[in-house]
Amino acid sequence: MRILSFACCAVAVCLSPILAAEEHVRPEASLTFEKDIRPLLQAACFQCHGETDEVGGNLDLRLRRFLVQGGDSGPALVPGHPEESYLLDRIRSGEMPPSGSGHPLSAEQQQVLEQWIAASAPTLRSEPETLARGLVISLEDQNWWSFQPVQRPALPPVTREEQIAQPLDRFILSRLEQAGFQFSPEADRRTLIRRACFDLWGLPPTPEMVREFEADESPDAWEKLVDRLLADPHFGERWARHWLDIAGYADSEGVTTTDPERKWAWQYRDYVIRAFNANKPYDQFVLEQLAGDEMVAPPYKNMSPEDIDKLAATGYLRMAPDGTMASQLDIDLTRNEVIADTLEIVSGGLLGLTVECAQCHEHRYDPIPQADYYRMRAIFEPALNAKKWKTPQQRQLSLYTDEDRARALEIEREVLQIMDVRKTKLEEFLNRNFQKELDKLSEEERALASAARPLEEKDRTPEQKAVFKKYPSLAITAGSLYLYDKAAADELKKIDEEIAALRQKKPEEKFLRALTETPGEVPPTFVFYRGDHHQPREQVQPAGLSILQQVVPGEIPENDDSLPTTGRRLAFAKQLVDGRHPLTSRVFVNRMWLHLLGRGIVTTPADFGRLGERPSHPELLDWLAAEFVESGWNIKQFIRMVLLSRTYRQSLSSNPEYLAADPDMALFGSSRLKRLEAEVVRDMILSISGRLNTKAFGPPVPVMSDPVGQWVIGIENLSAGRPGPVIDMKGEDLRRSIYVQARRSRPLSMFETFDLPRMEPLCEQRNSSTVATQSLMLMNGDFVMTQADACARQLQAEFQSNTDAIIVRLWELIYARQPDQSEQADTRQFLEEQEATLAARAGKEEQPRQQALANLCQILLSSNEFLYLE
Amino acid sequence: MSPASQPEIPLSNSGRRHFLAGSVFSLSGVALNYFAGQQRLSAEIPKAPSLVPQVFDTLPKPPHHEPRAKAMISLWMQGGPSHHDLFDPKPEMTKHDGGEYPGDLKYDDRANATSKILASPWKFSPQGECGMELSELIPRTGEIADELTLIRSAHTGVNNHGQSITALNTGRILSGRPTLGSWLTYALGAETRSLPAYLALIDPGQLPVMGTENWSNGWLPALYQGTVIRPQEPRILNLDVPKHLQGEPQARALELLNRLNQRHLSSRPGHLELQARIASYELAAQMQHAAKEALDLSRETKATQEMYGLNDPACAEYGQRCLIARRLIERGVRFVQIFTSNQFWDHHGGLFKSLPLACKKVDQPSAALVKDLKQRGLLDETIVHWGGEMGRLPVIENDGSRDKIGRDHNTYGFSMWVAGGGFKRGYAHGATDDFGYQAVDNIVTHADYHATILHLFGLEHDKLTFLRNTQQQTLTDGQECRVVSELLA
Repeated sequence: MRILSFACCAVAVCLSPILAAEEHVRPEASLTFEKDIRPLLQAACFQCHGETDEVGGNLDLRLRRFLVQGGDSGPALVPGHPEESYLLDRIRSGEMPPSGSGHPLSAEQQQVLEQWIAASAPTLRSEPETLARGLVISLEDQNWWSFQPVQRPALPPVTREEQIAQPLDRFILSRLEQAGFQFSPEADRRTLIRRACFDLWGLPPTPEMVREFEADESPDAWEKLVDRLLADPHFGERWARHWLDIAGYADSEGVTTTDPERKWAWQYRDYVIRAFNANKPYDQFVLEQLAGDEMVAPPYKNMSPEDIDKLAATGYLRMAPDGTMASQLDIDLTRNEVIADTLEIVSGGLLGLTVECAQCHEHRYDPIPQADYYRMRAIFEPALNAKKWKTPQQRQLSLYTDEDRARALEIEREVLQIMDVRKTKLEEFLNRNFQKELDKLSEEERALASAARPLEEKDRTPEQKAVFKKYPSLAITAGSLYLYDKAAADELKKIDEEIAALRQKKPEEKFLRALTETPGEVPPTFVFYRGDHHQPREQVQPAGLSILQQVVPGEIPENDDSLPTTGRRLAFAKQLVDGRHPLTSRVFVNRMWLHLLGRGIVTTPADFGRLGERPSHPELLDWLAAEFVESGWNIKQFIRMVLLSRTYRQSLSSNPEYLAADPDMALFGSSRLKRLEAEVVRDMILSISGRLNTKAFGPPVPVMSDPVGQWVIGIENLSAGRPGPVIDMKGEDLRRSIYVQARRSRPLSMFETFDLPRMEPLCEQRNSSTVATQSLMLMNGDFVMTQADACARQLQAEFQSNTDAIIVRLWELIYARQPDQSEQADTRQFLEEQEATLAARAGKEEQPRQQALANLCQILLSSNEFLYLE
Repeated sequence: MSPASQPEIPLSNSGRRHFLAGSVFSLSGVALNYFAGQQRLSAEIPKAPSLVPQVFDTLPKPPHHEPRAKAMISLWMQGGPSHHDLFDPKPEMTKHDGGEYPGDLKYDDRANATSKILASPWKFSPQGECGMELSELIPRTGEIADELTLIRSAHTGVNNHGQSITALNTGRILSGRPTLGSWLTYALGAETRSLPAYLALIDPGQLPVMGTENWSNGWLPALYQGTVIRPQEPRILNLDVPKHLQGEPQARALELLNRLNQRHLSSRPGHLELQARIASYELAAQMQHAAKEALDLSRETKATQEMYGLNDPACAEYGQRCLIARRLIERGVRFVQIFTSNQFWDHHGGLFKSLPLACKKVDQPSAALVKDLKQRGLLDETIVHWGGEMGRLPVIENDGSRDKIGRDHNTYGFSMWVAGGGFKRGYAHGATDDFGYQAVDNIVTHADYHATILHLFGLEHDKLTFLRNTQQQTLTDGQECRVVSELLA
């Protein structure tokens, strides 16, 4: 049974005016308490003046009535007289809010406050007599756009019917027309195919694909292309990357300096790739990630591939940075942080709200009381149980079958036998070498040392101790044997290798980094006073957000009797994907729109609350959300719909009036320049050089330090920190970037230069910078030089001395188009001159033509036409 | 650096948050990451606290209090130079040479260990007006004795190279933490915008123990990683043009690139991001020029070159690096560290032959650096540090012929020197026991050393913090330590 929160009670009170209209109730006023003043005070003041049990100076600021009434220092507000209003005085003098405790009011905000007071401090509605302590959820909060049910709007009319390719175009075009604009012309085919390949694959189209598409005159040429791209496995690799950003995917735990590897995190990464490729419906995708374990019967042994998939999906809830293995850290604190980060990942990624802001106090901007945060936490605590914590190691779920286990045991028995042999040998070696050391001693000393050897230090006589001190080399141990007798040590090493080889024969034991509950363990959840886990206060039950109670059906059970687990996460996930949840679908379609159009309809994809931006096209957002849910949460169908739209197929606007009127292109009257993301820069270059290894799935490609300390792809081979010989990667180094190890302490230098985000704990939206480091890396960096060289070699092998053909091919590979005549001539001249200069300074080994060609590849890979999609 | 001096930079694709989402948040991990921080623009004050990235850069920043030092050059002697034979004369050992050492010792290599005392075969004599006793192996260092603070009581207490290096370079024996250079550049930035704030000059031989961790930013932003100057071309990765493209070919390439970009831009007017990227290539070219100029020793007089030993094959290579270090400091770089090759001073054996050679390589250039800084008026504001991660044991290791004899590790008492930047002149501090094994008098631990260095830079070791995982981290990391005021002028 759900217990109504005090906050909800407050809503009820707030909604029932007790007095007849007073004169300050002036809904028509330009500034009102509810709309303009309360949010300012909520952010800056309520924490001490209204929400907590102790009210500072006995002054409650949550109602106009209380302001007039005042506190210990008299009235805070004198309507019509800003200069006499103590509130304004204290704020202006900078005394309130006290430094460090809240967000000070800006000059503009202070001015708003002053104007409101000067206008006699109007309110929208009558105010209640009293309010319960805590967060007041006002009518304004309840009416906040993103908490309203999704309603499919009617399609708006447009003047230029002929420009409508998909219903969604109407929402864009009607707004453009209202502003006096229209769509930009359709992009040409090579621009379109390059754009689509980038958006759906993160790779460039091959010249053959471009030619085929340009030659296809059938009316559904574009549709066919889109379908082909969606059906290709590269699609999953591209879109999984987007999802892994908001899941905060990493192959290491982070937090401590050792940053231990997460050996099995990749199973979750592969799950996500498979899910996108199989077009798993989004509702199923969310259910599995939040509660896959609750959909499979424990004890999770001898599982079917489908069940393994569901367990792998819960890796989502294991992505937060995790320092709980580190003994030097405060255990309670680190556990608490893992739980908090996990909640942040869920709320930012799926709900589009900053629920985590309510961890220490009522949310300062959104109607999320602190208790809501802990109710949501209660959903996860049976699996993230701070009192019975599973360390990263303990939470690994073995995929061994009973059969595998039996075979492994058999081998371990063999190993034990060899170990016995090893032990005997070691003993023998130690004795032999000790004897050698003895031989260096006088007879008397020898007797003393021999007698003392089996004894512990404390049991030796002073004479015996003296001998051992005089001849430090007598203290020979298994660990120092190699210093005395290399042959013996090598022999032992050989046995060790034999054991290792034998163990190799065991069936490979794979694991999942899963999230599971321990049946029967249901910890109570408490609100932590000020977020401090040492100060638990009232107990709470699991629940979704109070503000959504009216819209979202279903309850979250404390312990579902029909399941071996508590069923909390499963019920929560079902609420999210019920279809009536106002945030789930809006948040996800907005993300897909962002990835495809380069800008969200809501430009703050992880914050649909007050601090976020409002949607630029609210009706479109709702229409898309409704369409998405009705399609059965069909991701590929949604993407297809967007790609087929006229909106998507626009070219880059060159209309100066439009660009001046809408510099952010918020009306979507143009395509948008998109700089290649870090991983895409690398993948594209590898694809162009012809060296991309398309092998999918499996353990990550390792990252190591190069000789100057940059993080590069490679197998670490260090001895006392010094790099040893380079280990051949056997082509693994040329795999797609999504398979490169995401170790938090080792961001690949090339990725970091191109704005790889840090997962702390997730990345809501990528940034794109333009800095000289990127230029320098492209001009002089190893990776680009190597790939440019490979590309040049391949072209030379293919076209020999036919420079013109090489130039055309390069343009096709890198720009997906043919060079025009002047480009061709210009480039030919460049190659001739460059080759001549290089020939003049070349050594015997160098091939000036090859060098000039490689240089040309590199220039094209550094150019804007390559680095930006449009 | 004023925003006005910046090239026009980026509009990103998220509207009003242009600057926030665009250039400001950028950090990059390559050798040149410092530039990213040099290029930011002032950000619009954001509405949402959760959207505010913490901004890091290498612009100059004020310290906590008036500083004595503004820059530092650390001459890192990897392997552990023998203090017995260079800095710490022990008459008591001479008396008992060859006799049995009277106490307990911790060995690294037991198999070849002995307890036979090894007195230094080299002579010590008083140097300079201060009369500091130094070995005949380092005569040029003797010439600058009056500039030095010699610490004879250094102590880290962990008998391995790696751990002791990490202690002296990052404050703790565990690896993965930021180095002293990272902390200094994080705290103070640099006085130059066209060169890295923190540079590591590595030896042509193998990397020192702990490899690239020696200039790691640990968990500080990658912006504060040391940038390596390599002993061969390209000297700074990504910054230096590959040799075959230097000069005319690169100019021609950039010209073609510019033509391509301009053509591309001309059909896409009004898209500022494209212009910004074109400008970033111009800026990159300027940086290349600045770095090249800083590394060009032909601009130094013959007298200066000879002072650093550039005409002597035994020390020319090391001398070049010392001279480069001075040029870098002059141009506003905050921290430079010069590394010897791997285990250069780790004389477990062959001491009698190898130690003099090692001294020959570094003695003249090290002394020249101090003299040169002084004559240019830079020494007052520049700390020079000379030392390694350990000293040696007072007993013979590898007993046998004279060729084989060496000394094992000792981190319980060893010597290093510092000069300039507010350190005392002509002063020897602390002492080891009669056999040079343990520091016994006025011990200076790695944490004391760090607290003192930070103090001279105007920084308080417990106030220079970095928030990580909700904890305020410091270089000294809560270890017991103090600013060793006796060392300060």
